[in-house]
Amino acid sequence: MTKVKNRIRRLRFDHDEMTQQELANRAGCTRQTIIALEQGKYVPSIELAFGIAKAFGVTLEEVFQYEEST
Amino acid sequence: MASLQKRALYGLAFGVVWAVAIIVVFIVKGGVSTFSDDQGFRLIIDGLWVGGLIFYGILMLTLRKQSQVDERDRLILGRAPVVQLWAVIFSLVIWTIVLTESYWDQGIPPIFMYLVFMSTLIVSAVAHSIGILIGYWRMGRND
Repeated sequence: MTKVKNRIRRLRFDHDEMTQQELANRAGCTRQTIIALEQGKYVPSIELAFGIAKAFGVTLEEVFQYEEST
Repeated sequence: MASLQKRALYGLAFGVVWAVAIIVVFIVKGGVSTFSDDQGFRLIIDGLWVGGLIFYGILMLTLRKQSQVDERDRLILGRAPVVQLWAVIFSLVIWTIVLTESYWDQGIPPIFMYLVFMSTLIVSAVAHSIGILIGYWRMGRND
């Protein structure tokens, strides 16, 4: 798993169970990329990360967190 | 499954059928000696080869223009040429060893230049699909 964690699944739930396709359309990517992001198998570019944050109307930090290794 | 991944899967299936079809036609029609002498035979192989290449090109290139491909797909697409490169190098090594050992004394017939070029392009096209599929597989097991 990557060190960059995200709350996309939680945020989708908080936004009236927004579908992965709807989020993908708003953020400008494919549904498969949203699935990969939620599973922690892909780290997005800065541009896409901002696009996802904007789709939820929150800041980047509210969606993505960097997990420090101990 | 991502659109690009589907196309790569179709491309691989088509590429295998395409390569096998050319090899079967080549062997059934008489092999290298007939290929060298018979223009009709050469045109059949040309048709299969160029037709397949155009079909493969349409299959893979039309997708890139659509909105179905995003940054993750483009990242995988960008890595696929590594597999292509290794596949082409490997096929050229095989050709070089086989031809050198088979025609050491009498010299390699020029017609093999054509066959080497043709097979290299087919290998390159098939390896492109394999490279894309490997990219998705590696990204999928990123844990």
